[in-house]
Amino acid sequence: MPVTIDARGLACPQPVIMAKKAIEENEQITVLVDNDMAVENIRRLAVKMACGFSVTEKEEGIRNIALVRTGAIDETKGGGGPSAQENELSCAVVAGKETGPLVVVLSDNHMGRGDDVLGDILIRSFVHTLLQLKPLPDTVICYNSGVKLVVKDSAVLDDLQQLAKDGVDILVCGTCVNYFEIGDQVAAGHISNMYDIAETMAGAGRLLRP
Amino acid sequence: MEEQRYIVFLFPSVSYALKAEKILKAAVIAHKLIPVPRHISSDCGVCVRITEDKQQDVERELLGKVEWDKVLLL
Repeated sequence: MPVTIDARGLACPQPVIMAKKAIEENEQITVLVDNDMAVENIRRLAVKMACGFSVTEKEEGIRNIALVRTGAIDETKGGGGPSAQENELSCAVVAGKETGPLVVVLSDNHMGRGDDVLGDILIRSFVHTLLQLKPLPDTVICYNSGVKLVVKDSAVLDDLQQLAKDGVDILVCGTCVNYFEIGDQVAAGHISNMYDIAETMAGAGRLLRP
Repeated sequence: MEEQRYIVFLFPSVSYALKAEKILKAAVIAHKLIPVPRHISSDCGVCVRITEDKQQDVERELLGKVEWDKVLLL
Protein backbone atom coordinates (compact mmCIF):
# COMPACT_ATOMS: atom_id res chain seq x y z
CA MET A 1 0.00 0.00 0.00
CA PRO A 2 1.49 3.34 -0.96
CA VAL A 3 1.76 5.83 1.87
CA THR A 4 -0.52 8.82 1.49
CA ILE A 5 0.53 12.25 2.68
CA ASP A 6 -2.25 14.77 3.13
CA ALA A 7 -0.71 18.21 2.56
CA ARG A 8 -3.95 19.98 1.70
CA GLY A 9 -4.30 23.43 3.18
CA LEU A 10 -0.63 23.63 4.11
CA ALA A 11 1.51 26.59 3.11
CA CYS A 12 4.75 26.40 1.18
CA PRO A 13 7.25 24.87 1.91
CA GLN A 14 5.40 22.40 4.17
CA PRO A 15 4.06 20.06 1.42
CA VAL A 16 7.44 19.54 -0.25
CA ILE A 17 9.16 18.97 3.09
CA MET A 18 6.58 16.32 4.02
CA ALA A 19 6.88 14.71 0.59
CA LYS A 20 10.65 14.60 0.81
CA LYS A 21 10.60 12.94 4.22
CA ALA A 22 8.05 10.36 3.07
CA ILE A 23 9.81 9.43 -0.17
CA GLU A 24 13.06 8.96 1.70
CA GLU A 25 11.36 6.34 3.83
CA ASN A 26 9.09 4.75 1.23
CA GLU A 27 9.42 3.46 -2.31
CA GLN A 28 6.13 4.90 -3.36
CA ILE A 29 3.96 7.69 -1.97
CA THR A 30 0.86 9.65 -2.80
CA VAL A 31 0.65 13.32 -1.87
CA LEU A 32 -2.56 15.32 -1.76
CA VAL A 33 -2.11 19.03 -2.32
CA ASP A 34 -4.37 21.94 -3.19
CA ASN A 35 -2.10 24.51 -4.84
CA ASP A 36 0.10 24.85 -7.91
CA MET A 37 3.19 25.88 -6.01
CA ALA A 38 3.17 22.65 -4.03
CA VAL A 39 2.80 20.67 -7.28
CA GLU A 40 5.74 22.54 -8.81
CA ASN A 41 7.93 22.08 -5.73
CA ILE A 42 7.19 18.36 -5.60
CA ARG A 43 7.86 18.04 -9.32
CA ARG A 44 11.34 19.49 -8.71
CA LEU A 45 11.80 17.19 -5.74
CA ALA A 46 10.97 14.23 -7.98
CA VAL A 47 13.65 15.21 -10.48
CA LYS A 48 16.28 15.56 -7.79
CA MET A 49 15.31 12.38 -6.00
CA ALA A 50 15.11 10.31 -9.21
CA CYS A 51 11.42 9.60 -8.79
CA GLY A 52 8.65 8.94 -11.24
CA PHE A 53 6.11 11.76 -11.01
CA SER A 54 2.50 11.88 -12.05
CA VAL A 55 -0.27 14.21 -11.07
CA THR A 56 -4.02 13.79 -11.39
CA GLU A 57 -6.75 16.24 -10.51
CA LYS A 58 -9.03 14.51 -8.07
CA GLU A 59 -11.75 16.98 -7.35
CA GLU A 60 -12.13 20.76 -7.17
CA GLY A 61 -8.51 21.89 -6.99
CA ILE A 62 -7.22 18.89 -5.11
CA ARG A 63 -4.24 17.29 -6.87
CA ASN A 64 -3.16 13.74 -6.31
CA ILE A 65 0.58 13.34 -6.85
CA ALA A 66 2.15 9.92 -7.16
CA LEU A 67 5.88 9.58 -6.53
CA VAL A 68 7.69 6.34 -7.21
CA ARG A 69 11.39 5.89 -6.58
CA THR A 70 13.05 4.70 -9.75
CA GLY A 71 16.68 4.76 -8.68
CA ALA A 72 18.89 4.97 -5.67
CA ILE A 73 19.02 8.42 -4.15
CA ASP A 74 22.31 9.87 -5.27
CA GLU A 75 23.43 12.47 -2.76
CA THR A 76 26.21 13.65 -5.05
CA LYS A 77 23.67 14.73 -7.63
CA GLY A 78 21.86 16.85 -5.13
CA GLY A 79 19.65 13.97 -4.09
CA GLY A 80 18.97 15.80 -0.88
CA GLY A 81 16.01 17.42 -2.55
CA PRO A 82 15.38 21.13 -2.79
CA SER A 83 17.63 23.09 -0.48
CA ALA A 84 16.13 25.33 2.15
CA GLN A 85 17.20 28.28 0.02
CA GLU A 86 15.38 27.01 -3.06
CA ASN A 87 12.26 26.44 -1.05
CA GLU A 88 12.42 29.91 0.37
CA LEU A 89 12.83 31.32 -3.11
CA SER A 90 9.91 29.48 -4.64
CA CYS A 91 7.79 30.30 -1.62
CA ALA A 92 8.80 33.94 -1.76
CA VAL A 93 7.62 34.24 -5.33
CA VAL A 94 4.23 32.88 -4.52
CA ALA A 95 3.99 34.90 -1.33
CA GLY A 96 4.58 38.07 -3.32
CA LYS A 97 1.66 37.28 -5.56
CA GLU A 98 -0.67 36.55 -2.73
CA THR A 99 0.11 39.17 -0.18
CA GLY A 100 0.46 42.41 -2.06
CA PRO A 101 3.19 44.78 -3.17
CA LEU A 102 6.85 44.49 -2.30
CA VAL A 103 7.98 47.83 -0.93
CA VAL A 104 11.62 48.75 -0.32
CA VAL A 105 12.26 51.46 2.24
CA LEU A 106 15.50 53.40 1.98
CA SER A 107 15.46 55.32 5.24
CA ASP A 108 19.18 55.99 5.29
CA ASN A 109 21.92 56.52 2.74
CA HIS A 110 23.87 53.79 4.54
CA MET A 111 23.06 50.14 5.10
CA GLY A 112 23.20 49.02 8.71
CA ARG A 113 24.81 50.68 11.67
CA GLY A 114 28.36 50.61 12.87
CA ASP A 115 30.56 52.04 10.17
CA ASP A 116 29.46 54.63 7.65
CA VAL A 117 32.18 53.88 5.10
CA LEU A 118 31.10 50.25 5.06
CA GLY A 119 27.44 51.28 5.22
CA ASP A 120 27.97 53.34 2.08
CA ILE A 121 29.43 50.39 0.17
CA LEU A 122 26.64 48.13 1.37
CA ILE A 123 23.78 50.43 0.37
CA ARG A 124 25.31 50.82 -3.08
CA SER A 125 25.53 47.07 -3.47
CA PHE A 126 22.01 46.67 -2.16
CA VAL A 127 20.41 49.18 -4.52
CA HIS A 128 22.31 47.74 -7.49
CA THR A 129 21.13 44.27 -6.55
CA LEU A 130 17.49 45.40 -6.44
CA LEU A 131 17.65 45.49 -10.24
CA GLN A 132 18.17 41.74 -10.28
CA LEU A 133 15.29 40.88 -7.96
CA LYS A 134 12.55 38.82 -9.51
CA PRO A 135 9.97 40.09 -9.28
CA LEU A 136 11.16 43.67 -9.00
CA PRO A 137 9.92 45.71 -6.05
CA ASP A 138 6.68 47.55 -6.73
CA THR A 139 7.72 50.66 -4.88
CA VAL A 140 10.88 52.17 -3.41
CA ILE A 141 10.40 54.79 -0.72
CA CYS A 142 13.20 57.18 0.22
CA TYR A 143 13.04 59.24 3.38
CA ASN A 144 15.36 60.87 5.89
CA SER A 145 18.93 60.61 4.54
CA GLY A 146 17.69 57.95 2.10
CA VAL A 147 16.66 60.84 -0.16
CA LYS A 148 20.35 61.56 -0.73
CA LEU A 149 20.38 58.41 -2.85
CA VAL A 150 18.25 60.00 -5.58
CA VAL A 151 20.21 63.20 -6.10
CA LYS A 152 22.50 64.04 -9.00
CA ASP A 153 25.84 62.98 -7.51
CA SER A 154 24.51 59.79 -5.89
CA ALA A 155 26.49 56.65 -6.68
CA VAL A 156 23.24 54.69 -7.11
CA LEU A 157 21.39 57.25 -9.19
CA ASP A 158 21.74 55.18 -12.37
CA ASP A 159 20.39 52.10 -10.61
CA LEU A 160 17.39 53.97 -9.25
CA GLN A 161 16.73 55.55 -12.65
CA GLN A 162 16.85 52.09 -14.23
CA LEU A 163 14.40 50.79 -11.60
CA ALA A 164 12.06 53.66 -12.44
CA LYS A 165 12.40 52.86 -16.12
CA ASP A 166 11.54 49.23 -15.36
CA GLY A 167 8.30 50.35 -13.77
CA VAL A 168 9.22 50.67 -10.11
CA ASP A 169 7.50 53.60 -8.44
CA ILE A 170 10.02 55.68 -6.48
CA LEU A 171 8.59 57.91 -3.79
CA VAL A 172 10.87 60.62 -2.47
CA CYS A 173 9.96 62.32 0.80
CA GLY A 174 9.33 66.00 0.06
CA THR A 175 9.86 67.13 3.65
CA CYS A 176 13.25 65.42 3.63
CA VAL A 177 14.59 66.94 0.40
CA ASN A 178 13.38 70.27 1.69
CA TYR A 179 15.16 69.77 5.01
CA PHE A 180 18.44 68.82 3.29
CA GLU A 181 17.87 71.62 0.73
CA ILE A 182 18.40 69.27 -2.20
CA GLY A 183 15.01 69.70 -3.86
CA ASP A 184 16.60 70.97 -7.07
CA GLN A 185 18.95 67.99 -7.30
CA VAL A 186 16.43 65.13 -7.20
CA ALA A 187 17.06 63.12 -10.38
CA ALA A 188 15.01 59.94 -9.90
CA GLY A 189 11.51 59.17 -8.73
CA HIS A 190 8.99 61.78 -7.77
CA ILE A 191 8.49 63.98 -4.74
CA SER A 192 5.87 62.55 -2.48
CA ASN A 193 4.27 63.23 0.87
CA MET A 194 3.68 61.42 4.13
CA TYR A 195 0.13 60.42 3.12
CA ASP A 196 1.38 58.44 0.14
CA ILE A 197 4.36 57.10 2.05
CA ALA A 198 2.30 55.92 5.02
CA GLU A 199 -0.41 54.44 2.78
CA THR A 200 2.11 52.60 0.60
CA MET A 201 3.87 51.17 3.63
CA ALA A 202 0.58 50.18 5.24
CA GLY A 203 -0.57 48.47 2.04
CA ALA A 204 2.66 46.55 1.46
CA GLY A 205 2.68 42.78 1.35
CA ARG A 206 6.31 42.83 2.34
CA LEU A 207 8.44 45.73 3.48
CA LEU A 208 12.15 45.48 2.84
CA ARG A 209 14.38 47.78 4.84
CA PRO A 210 18.13 47.37 4.38
CA MET B 1 20.52 51.74 -27.51
CA GLU B 2 23.75 49.87 -28.07
CA GLU B 3 24.73 47.09 -25.73
CA GLN B 4 27.41 48.31 -23.33
CA ARG B 5 30.14 45.79 -22.49
CA TYR B 6 31.52 45.89 -18.99
CA ILE B 7 34.51 44.46 -17.23
CA VAL B 8 35.12 44.15 -13.50
CA PHE B 9 38.26 44.57 -11.43
CA LEU B 10 38.40 42.18 -8.49
CA PHE B 11 40.44 43.12 -5.43
CA PRO B 12 41.87 41.19 -2.49
CA SER B 13 39.68 43.06 0.00
CA VAL B 14 37.03 45.74 0.38
CA SER B 15 39.63 48.32 1.39
CA TYR B 16 41.52 47.77 -1.87
CA ALA B 17 38.31 48.28 -3.83
CA LEU B 18 37.62 51.48 -1.92
CA LYS B 19 41.14 52.77 -2.52
CA ALA B 20 40.82 52.01 -6.22
CA GLU B 21 37.53 53.86 -6.30
CA LYS B 22 39.08 56.97 -4.77
CA ILE B 23 41.84 56.91 -7.37
CA LEU B 24 39.36 56.52 -10.24
CA LYS B 25 37.18 59.28 -8.86
CA ALA B 26 40.17 61.62 -8.71
CA ALA B 27 41.15 60.64 -12.26
CA VAL B 28 37.56 61.24 -13.42
CA ILE B 29 37.17 57.77 -14.91
CA ALA B 30 33.56 56.57 -14.96
CA HIS B 31 33.19 53.49 -12.79
CA LYS B 32 30.80 51.80 -10.45
CA LEU B 33 31.26 49.82 -7.27
CA ILE B 34 29.00 46.77 -7.53
CA PRO B 35 28.57 43.48 -5.68
CA VAL B 36 30.76 40.75 -7.15
CA PRO B 37 28.49 38.84 -9.57
CA ARG B 38 27.26 35.54 -8.17
CA HIS B 39 29.02 33.42 -10.79
CA ILE B 40 32.41 34.88 -9.90
CA SER B 41 33.70 33.74 -6.56
CA SER B 42 35.51 36.25 -4.42
CA ASP B 43 36.01 36.78 -0.70
CA CYS B 44 35.70 40.51 -1.13
CA GLY B 45 32.04 41.16 -1.87
CA VAL B 46 32.47 44.24 -4.02
CA CYS B 47 34.26 44.96 -7.27
CA VAL B 48 34.76 47.91 -9.58
CA ARG B 49 32.85 47.84 -12.84
CA ILE B 50 33.95 49.92 -15.82
CA THR B 51 33.15 49.91 -19.50
CA GLU B 52 35.40 47.67 -21.55
CA ASP B 53 37.15 50.52 -23.35
CA LYS B 54 38.43 51.99 -20.05
CA GLN B 55 40.49 48.97 -19.03
CA GLN B 56 43.86 50.41 -20.01
CA ASP B 57 43.13 53.78 -18.44
CA VAL B 58 42.14 52.12 -15.21
CA GLU B 59 45.16 49.82 -15.15
CA ARG B 60 47.43 52.78 -15.74
CA GLU B 61 45.89 54.71 -12.86
CA LEU B 62 45.94 51.82 -10.40
CA LEU B 63 49.37 50.46 -11.25
CA GLY B 64 51.76 50.89 -8.34
CA LYS B 65 49.03 52.34 -6.13
CA VAL B 66 46.66 49.50 -5.50
CA GLU B 67 46.90 45.89 -6.54
CA TRP B 68 44.07 43.89 -8.01
CA ASP B 69 43.38 40.17 -8.30
CA LYS B 70 41.71 39.77 -11.66
CA VAL B 71 40.05 41.60 -14.49
CA LEU B 72 37.05 39.78 -15.92
CA LEU B 73 34.56 40.41 -18.66
CA LEU B 74 31.09 40.71 -17.24
